[in-house]
Amino acid sequence: MSNKHQERDVYVAIADPTRRQLLNLLAKADELPLHELTAQFEMGRTAVSKHLTILKDAGLVIARKEGRETRYRLNAAPLKEIQDWVSIYEGFWKERISKLHLLLEEKK
Amino acid sequence: MKPDVSLDFKFTSSIEQVWHALTDSDTLAKWIWNNDFQPIVGHKFQFRAEPNEWWDGIVDCEVLEIEEPHKLSYTWTSAGETTTVTWTLTQTAEGTTQLHLDQGGFSEETKARQGAIEGAKYAWMNMSSQLEKVLA
Repeated sequence: MSNKHQERDVYVAIADPTRRQLLNLLAKADELPLHELTAQFEMGRTAVSKHLTILKDAGLVIARKEGRETRYRLNAAPLKEIQDWVSIYEGFWKERISKLHLLLEEKK
Repeated sequence: MKPDVSLDFKFTSSIEQVWHALTDSDTLAKWIWNNDFQPIVGHKFQFRAEPNEWWDGIVDCEVLEIEEPHKLSYTWTSAGETTTVTWTLTQTAEGTTQLHLDQGGFSEETKARQGAIEGAKYAWMNMSSQLEKVLA
């Protein structure tokens, strides 16, 4: 993803398994510094930091400076967008099923 | 976060009647859309809704699984998003039928974003046109 706008998209942010793993780790802790997060991955500090930036741009993590280190915590609110999208399909099927109900009742 | 659609319904009709409504092309047309469905694994078919400004009205599908009268599964491709629709039917002791629906496989990638917009538009367009008919 090259442009900034796409990086802010919540769907793009969670498309990557490393970033989903980061969200999982942050969901289990109140706040974690970069070095503790890096320890969980087979990649360098810079790579993990880059993923965190994408999550931050999507509003999924909040970064806070504490002295020399940056600490991260989860902000799950933007995930609601995905839940809302899926629930549109749910609404679609519920409406279809109510038609099916009527249809089966008619045949009795 | 639960990424899949998972719904349960109950019908007073027999499992055979519900199965028929799910697998008979003419009956399907009455509660979903016109289609060329056939209960054959591997059969490719389409649901064709009224096209609108945002959506061509076509859902491409392929039958994945048929287990009469208990399980039916097909792919559901629309607006660039491919998901899987699975129907599970269970007959209760009282002769009623439980129907479970799963729609899964929503991609989390960039195309999901497009699918989100298109999916939302077509679902709302469809619902509003249904509402118009009800109110007419």
